[in-house]
Amino acid sequence: MTSATAVKEVHTTHERQGFLKTYIFSLDHKMIAKQFLLLGLFMIWIGGGLALLLRWQLAYPEQPLPLIGASEQYLETGEPQSSMDRFWDSELSKSDDEQGWLTKRMPVGIITPAFYNALFTMHATIMIFFVVMPILIGCFGNFLIPLMIGAGDMAFPSLNMLSFWIAVLAGIIMIAGFLVPGGHAASGWTAYAPLSSDPTWTGVDWGQNLWCISLVVLGISSLMGSINYITTIINMRAPGMTFMRLPLVIWSLFIVAILLLLALPVLTAAIAMLLFDRLAGTTFFNAAGGGDPLLWQHLFWFFGHPEVYILILPAMGVVSEILPVFSRKPIFGYKAMVLALSGIAFLGWIVWGHHMFQSGMNPALGATFMISTMLISVPSAIKTFNWLGTLWGGNITFPAPMLNALAFVSMFVIGGLSGIYMASTVVDIFIHDTYYIVAHIHYVVFGGSIFGLFAAAYYWFPKMFGRMMNQTLSKVHFWFTFIPFNCTFFPMHILGIGGHMRRIYNPMQYEFLQQFEGWNIFISISAFVLGFSQLIFLFNFFWSMFKGKKADDNPWKATTLEWTTATPPPHGNFDVLPTVYHGPCEYSVPGAKKDFTMQTENVDLQAMSGNGGNGA
Amino acid sequence: MLDWLPPNISTIGQEIDNFFYVIYYITNTVFFLVMATLIYFLIKYRYKEGREAKYYHGNNTLEVVWASVTLVALLILALASQPLWSKIKQDIPPSDIVVQITGKQFNWEVLYPGPDNIFGTGDDYQIDNNLHVPVNRVVRIVLKSKDVIHSFFVPSLRLKQDAIPGREILAWFEANKTGKYEIPCAELCGFGHSGMLGYLFVHSPEDYQKWQQETWPPDIEEVGL
Amino acid sequence: MTSRTADFDQIELAEDTREVRKRHGSGAPPGIIDDDFDPGNDANGETRPSIGNAFIATLLFLGADIMLFAGLIGAFVVFRYGAENWPPPGQPRLPVGVTAINTAILLLSGFLMAHTWRLLAGRNRHQIVKWLLAVLALGVAFLMVQGYEWLRLLDFGLKLSSGVFGATFYTLIGCHALHVIGAVIWLSAVSLRIRLSSHAFDERRIESVKLIGMYWFLVVALWPILYGLVYWS
Ligand code: HEA
Ligand code: HEA
Ligand code: CUA
Ligand SMILES: [Cu+2]
Repeated sequence: MTSATAVKEVHTTHERQGFLKTYIFSLDHKMIAKQFLLLGLFMIWIGGGLALLLRWQLAYPEQPLPLIGASEQYLETGEPQSSMDRFWDSELSKSDDEQGWLTKRMPVGIITPAFYNALFTMHATIMIFFVVMPILIGCFGNFLIPLMIGAGDMAFPSLNMLSFWIAVLAGIIMIAGFLVPGGHAASGWTAYAPLSSDPTWTGVDWGQNLWCISLVVLGISSLMGSINYITTIINMRAPGMTFMRLPLVIWSLFIVAILLLLALPVLTAAIAMLLFDRLAGTTFFNAAGGGDPLLWQHLFWFFGHPEVYILILPAMGVVSEILPVFSRKPIFGYKAMVLALSGIAFLGWIVWGHHMFQSGMNPALGATFMISTMLISVPSAIKTFNWLGTLWGGNITFPAPMLNALAFVSMFVIGGLSGIYMASTVVDIFIHDTYYIVAHIHYVVFGGSIFGLFAAAYYWFPKMFGRMMNQTLSKVHFWFTFIPFNCTFFPMHILGIGGHMRRIYNPMQYEFLQQFEGWNIFISISAFVLGFSQLIFLFNFFWSMFKGKKADDNPWKATTLEWTTATPPPHGNFDVLPTVYHGPCEYSVPGAKKDFTMQTENVDLQAMSGNGGNGA
Repeated sequence: MLDWLPPNISTIGQEIDNFFYVIYYITNTVFFLVMATLIYFLIKYRYKEGREAKYYHGNNTLEVVWASVTLVALLILALASQPLWSKIKQDIPPSDIVVQITGKQFNWEVLYPGPDNIFGTGDDYQIDNNLHVPVNRVVRIVLKSKDVIHSFFVPSLRLKQDAIPGREILAWFEANKTGKYEIPCAELCGFGHSGMLGYLFVHSPEDYQKWQQETWPPDIEEVGL
Repeated sequence: MTSRTADFDQIELAEDTREVRKRHGSGAPPGIIDDDFDPGNDANGETRPSIGNAFIATLLFLGADIMLFAGLIGAFVVFRYGAENWPPPGQPRLPVGVTAINTAILLLSGFLMAHTWRLLAGRNRHQIVKWLLAVLALGVAFLMVQGYEWLRLLDFGLKLSSGVFGATFYTLIGCHALHVIGAVIWLSAVSLRIRLSSHAFDERRIESVKLIGMYWFLVVALWPILYGLVYWS
């Protein structure tokens, strides 16, 4: 399979390329994948840090933050006690113009209501657009597509590089929004107009503009990426790699790329109108000028619902890859999985109205959207049952990738089932805009996408960096994520049932929410544990990159093409272009010498096993 | 978990809660079945030296069965909740108490038509943040907004409806228990969103009359202006 | 050993693939599932791209572009059919007549482009450039007529900021105009390269004409829809 001399040869040419070409402006999809990974891993700390600030305010409303806040005595007496007190003292004595960045957002360490709004807006924006998308789609899409379909690289390597750097530019613009006067965008990640379309309502000026510009720029990056992915998958598959032999993760990335391609331009159109409203005096979303605030919601959710599937589908693909490997069984219902993916891709376009049941849109439409939303749950059900079917009769081991994949399955089920409550128009009347929605969001995006992301990172790390991640630390990290995750987000269902609104600065202002103070504190403490346990991952990741045990070519004994080449793969990926003879997960074929049959092995499965695994 | 629901004081609230319970029992059953199966498989089929995993690619009959069962269950759920939905949002019942509620940053303006029961005449009565209604009467609300989107939310009534600038949206309720209840704003509307809070006072008919007499301006026609 | 660099050429890959397969000497893999889904697979299970990468990419780009217009058209439709009077009182009517001529100009350019496509097989460089320049001239003419119309409308007081009528008009028509400008620039570049290069009029040149052609067709095809929606309805 791997020819050692070829690898060496490739490596020497590699070194001659120079630092800039190898690490910065690399055209190699594997390097671009790593760049996307770093971008995401950088942003997750910002997005997560903002979440922890939110949680502080919710648990201890209007109390100074630890470490940077002023002391209690100072607040009572005005006598500075600590160095932080003296700092706040001098800041507060300054005029408005001279006050520093921090003082405008959290004087004496107390988060202001306006800053709180910016916090959850940017938390969600960063997590969705700059963590989950760059990592699951940018990184793993880039890394896996050529390797798993047996291609030397992407169809358009330069476009690929450009796509990454444009994403970085979008990230810089987004972060710059924190620094401009007036603060960052504070109208929620959904940016409902007219709150978002007119600075007079929020006092946020360039923050919201930069938010818009950044997402348009990111849209361009995604457009390039998705064109590249689709073209590559259509045109560059190795001989014998038919569509129905593609690994499911490639299928899901293929579908995601199509969704991205078609959904993001709609967001771009909507954002262009929003920007015109803000900067050019148009009144698209301003009722007084003849516009329609609901138009924004329709356009946003027409993009937004496909977007949430964009976040989950790659993770579903990853899990469909990992479960068979560690149960040593073929995936249950490959064709049904592909059909379910395509079903989601179609139905995803006709359910957007379920975010707008209480918005004042025509109630008759509510009924239609309820039915279509119920329909789109069916493909997810099919996938869930097929994952269970894959485990049935397996020979299951539990290394870190498998643990995270199993966490995905169970957490996605919770998040999906809570979606059913909201899909029912009448129940949504009560739980809309409460923490029930926040619980749903996090069970699907954290319990789903982020566990999928961890599973993928643990599983493909050896191929990416040539070394194994430390298994003990990985498992410690898993349990320190899984348990605090549930402690953080499960009680949010309870808050939601109690009517606890989302996006509120201080729940203690409401009598009917006072009983939830204890829960809010519990949630926040769990969130801090959850946040800080990610340091274990961070440490393990970078330590293993340099000090981990060397990985061999196929450490998990998997069957797909990326494991046939060297670890890490050379420039050009394969020294001999692979030929594919069967589907992606032929494990435990009766009569075979090993319990995994590589896609490149020229053997007749039907003859070997008698019935080819039947049923399918 | 169901104990956490705020006390219900509206005539349709119980029906909404019932739907909540139905979905609660369905999803809980599904959840426990799925989890039980998952954990059972994980234990039963955990790695054993020399165990042969089944070589099995799936079963189309099974796929069709579980897809159709889910589909039918969900469709029934959707269709069953439809009548209640149209009762709440579409077939607004006639009522003799009409109140106009306008959201603005960061207050609820509550406007009564006054003794003549017509809006826009001199005897309209407006107060901020307090909505007074009699018990056991259908109250119709005309929701408006002056600036951005707000959402009129009364947890105890199981009522939530966004107020959109440029539109008048109708909502209604019938409270069946007297008392004072909170009316938070449920849609992000700016830095004062949290704390945009009104109160609903459900009075007995006598108390309502008394409140009217004490606060409303006199009927224009009666006084003869 | 074939160790390709990252930015290898597609054609090279296709040849490469066959070469490697020859070396492998494998015929039809056993147990192959036939797969009528996949046009790239012939009976031997061999994958050979039947459409070039650049074509697929351009098609996909056009798809994304259509969605961009779908968003803007959606907004227009909401306002147009939600309004009682359209154009709203006090707003100027749009120049239906002049634009009809302009529509004809653009449609004609589309036909000329189609004609140029048919000429490609002949590989007569001068002839092709001539036709391309004709297309280009029509595109520029379209832009100039539209620019003139815009100036007049601005004179009549129709601005981007005059209500949703002006806003939808300028965004939707303006977005299309930007596309025409893009198409004109792209077409000029293609024509210039063909004109100036000393290379033979090879496959790559043919492809470059076809790609701009596809884009041009989209821009032309969108216009009657916009004209009907915005000027007539
Ligand atoms: C990854 C992201 C993701 C995913 C996959 C989903 C999946 C689903 N979502 Fe969710 N959703 C979000 C992300 C996501 N959502 C976000 C971010 C918001 C909030 C946006 C905002 O306002 O900020 C939101 C909001 C949201 C709303 C709006 C609520 C409101 O604001 O009032 C609704 C309403 O219908 C909804 C429904 C659903 C449904 C029905 C599914 C279904 O696809 C789920 C299907 C899965 C299952 C059902 C589980 C598995 C199935 C079985 C085990 C079979 C048996 C099941 C039964 C018989 C019931 N979601
Ligand atoms: C991929 C998406 C994603 C992810 C991963 C998360 C992760 C988390 N989210 Fe978030 N969230 C959303 C998407 C996401 N969220 C969305 C879409 C909304 C809706 C927004 C809106 O209403 O507009 C939302 C809203 C939201 C709210 C509701 C706010 C409100 O309505 O008022 C809350 C409150 O608890 C919350 C909490 C958290 C927490 C504690 C985490 C934790 O999982 C985070 C864990 C932390 C890390 C992984 C990083 C670790 C970092 C550190 C240890 C840094 C330490 C440094 C410092 C303290 C500076 N999120
Ligand atoms: Cu008003 Cu929120
Ligand atoms: Cu949705």
